[in-house]
Amino acid sequence: MNNKKQGGSGTLMKVGLASLLMTVGAHNVLAGEEVSGGSLFGDMQTVTQDLLDRAAGDSNNFLHTNANYEQTRFYPAQQVNRENVHNLERAWTFKMDVVDSLETTPIVINGTMFVTSSFNHVYALDAKTGKQKWHYEHEMGLITTYCCGPNNRGVAALDDMVYMGTLDARLVALDAKTGKKMWDVEIADPELGYSETMSPTIVNGKVLIGTNGGEYGIRGFVKAFDAKTGALLWTFHSIPEDSTGVWAENDATGLYMHRDIKAEKAALKKLGDPYKTLGGGVWQNMAIDRDANRAYFVVGNPSPDLYGAVRPGDNLYTNSLVAVDLDSGEKICHFQYIAHDVWDLDAVSPPILVPVKNEDGQTVKGVLHGGKTGYVYVHNASDCSLIRYSEPMVMQRDRWVLPTKEGASMLPGANGGVEWSPMATDPSQGLVYAANIHQPMTYHVEETPYPGGKLWLGGAFKVITDQQQWGNITAVDYNTGKIKWKVKTHQPMIGGVLATAGGLVFAGEGNGLFKAYNSTSGELMWQDQTEAGVNAPPASYNVDGEQYVVVGSGGNAQMNYTRGNEIIAYKLNKK
Amino acid sequence: MITSKSLLLMLTALMIFSNEVIAEAERAAPEASAEIGEQDKYASIRENLKTCFTCHGDNGQSKLGTFPILAGQEFYYMYVQLKDMKTGLRESQVMGPIVANIEKADLKLLAMFFSEQKWPETSYEINAKQSARGQRVIDEGGCTACHLATLKGNSRIPRLANQHPEYLKNTMHDFRNEVRNNAPAMASLLKTYTDEDIDAIANYLGSFKE
Repeated sequence: MNNKKQGGSGTLMKVGLASLLMTVGAHNVLAGEEVSGGSLFGDMQTVTQDLLDRAAGDSNNFLHTNANYEQTRFYPAQQVNRENVHNLERAWTFKMDVVDSLETTPIVINGTMFVTSSFNHVYALDAKTGKQKWHYEHEMGLITTYCCGPNNRGVAALDDMVYMGTLDARLVALDAKTGKKMWDVEIADPELGYSETMSPTIVNGKVLIGTNGGEYGIRGFVKAFDAKTGALLWTFHSIPEDSTGVWAENDATGLYMHRDIKAEKAALKKLGDPYKTLGGGVWQNMAIDRDANRAYFVVGNPSPDLYGAVRPGDNLYTNSLVAVDLDSGEKICHFQYIAHDVWDLDAVSPPILVPVKNEDGQTVKGVLHGGKTGYVYVHNASDCSLIRYSEPMVMQRDRWVLPTKEGASMLPGANGGVEWSPMATDPSQGLVYAANIHQPMTYHVEETPYPGGKLWLGGAFKVITDQQQWGNITAVDYNTGKIKWKVKTHQPMIGGVLATAGGLVFAGEGNGLFKAYNSTSGELMWQDQTEAGVNAPPASYNVDGEQYVVVGSGGNAQMNYTRGNEIIAYKLNKK
Repeated sequence: MITSKSLLLMLTALMIFSNEVIAEAERAAPEASAEIGEQDKYASIRENLKTCFTCHGDNGQSKLGTFPILAGQEFYYMYVQLKDMKTGLRESQVMGPIVANIEKADLKLLAMFFSEQKWPETSYEINAKQSARGQRVIDEGGCTACHLATLKGNSRIPRLANQHPEYLKNTMHDFRNEVRNNAPAMASLLKTYTDEDIDAIANYLGSFKE
């Protein structure tokens, strides 16, 4: 370990959720104190629980795919800022072996970057030069079942290991120094529609991971595995055996959903509870509240997506925010946004833990979620209850018109609003930044029995190609629900956002542009044209006193943006 | 002019090269002999394969427009199709009786055999206007989300790129007309398409090269 001071003007500090609660509104606390990495983090050769806990204030490393346990995607370094971002240039570009959809977020540990590609390749790179240290290619099983691209969203790290979920529904542990596989366990059966694209989340020696499969009639879950051995510790079924609920007629914003409750009740009596094939995948990272020992995550759509007659009831806990106890996996609370969804407008974008003002103006622990509906939902973390929802970030037209055989047109389309794209926050400004989609679609329904692991939509979604599509980045004041600024983009946005203490927001677009905005005003401050769609969440880190911003340029299967295979790191040109 | 010195150098180089070739051959030899000694893993399906080749061409490299290319198609997709033909979920007057008496283990071997063969070079007569329209129709349906950007599929999802357009057209109509009932999401999607849309898709997919 060298003694050279790492990081820019904002280096290491403690900014956990509890301390954020104490400092809401004080922008300059995020600049932090400068300390020697060695004195605070030991030799930094391994990832300790302590290091993971301190990630929110660590401006050398990028330790979680969503930056920290709270998933704020707020990076505390401010070396790259509004005054100098125009000098941001490519430091290096790394070309991966697979040219396909790229939704990965690199993590960076003490100058080594760990990054994944489609089809479960993992690379360890020198984060300063982009030079490869090792490359691991997962030996994929013959059976994989996934829709929407062979994506992988990154690895998680603990001690000397990195962990990845695979398309064939396995959890793989690798030696972080060599890439050698240490163990490999089955998470679920891929033949029944289970697959993995999310990065795991690691806490207290447990590797937490959910599953894809909401389009295949799976029964969703979050599982906890022992990080040392791969042994299964607990399973939370995101679909309970009684999935009926309260027969809600309105969605979270109070809009009537045209449910035929009488027919559903009759179907329930005839068919029984549909929980075994009800879907409810959990395929984005969970936010971790270390103080309360809880994990917060969102649960995806019910199966089949469009045909609700075979799944009477509210279909709990699909389309919900859920909190579980980290030791047991027992449910603590939930909030369902859309009961008995027949539009696939589910809950996908990872939740964020941040202090928020409640209805009485008191600051409480809050949870933010960006919905495919195009609203930001603000919850009280203690009981998951909804405090408020934002102004709509995208156009709404005939929302909750029921799908028909011929196709009913509705906005938002089934991709959102906010798709899986992680939002970012700037707690000092009380703002959350969301990447949005405007993509008109028609919703077609067709009676479809369970097809045994095959794609089970119960109809079809069709993009209306002769209607204009676009996207936007929207900054929402989560203490009021008001939109502070909105910047329109030429194409629907998918990929995620990063905010930094340099007063910037970074986000990429399907046309290959990677942009930095003024986080207070939305003013475009910098951009770079890459060769493929920039549809991966950006990250940032420091090596030898220089701040880097890194992003994948590899396009997107869901939106069919130009594919590529580049990881691009940027830093300031000092000339 | 070749001097005695340069001749000596050339001979030396040739000897070194020869030694390397021999050493390489020796390294390879044990593997090669082991292969000869190995049992033919496809022994149980060799007779079945002859039947397959009759319509699907040698090694599944079909040259007949109504019979799909199997060579290089995805293993798991083909295995599922064979199983579905056996159960009748995918109705086929030709294939149904053929697979009726083949055990699942051999169906798996058949799928494995064809997946290991090389997809042939193809050259179809393509209507360029239709093909251009086909790309848009494919965007409407979000086809690349599952069949991937190359439209070559993966595992459960079949390769469509440069498959015989005639076969593609027929099978899309079979989906739409509920003759092929083993992929309900495909059937639902194709019911939203017109005959012209299907022609356009078939032309577009036929325009791909290896």
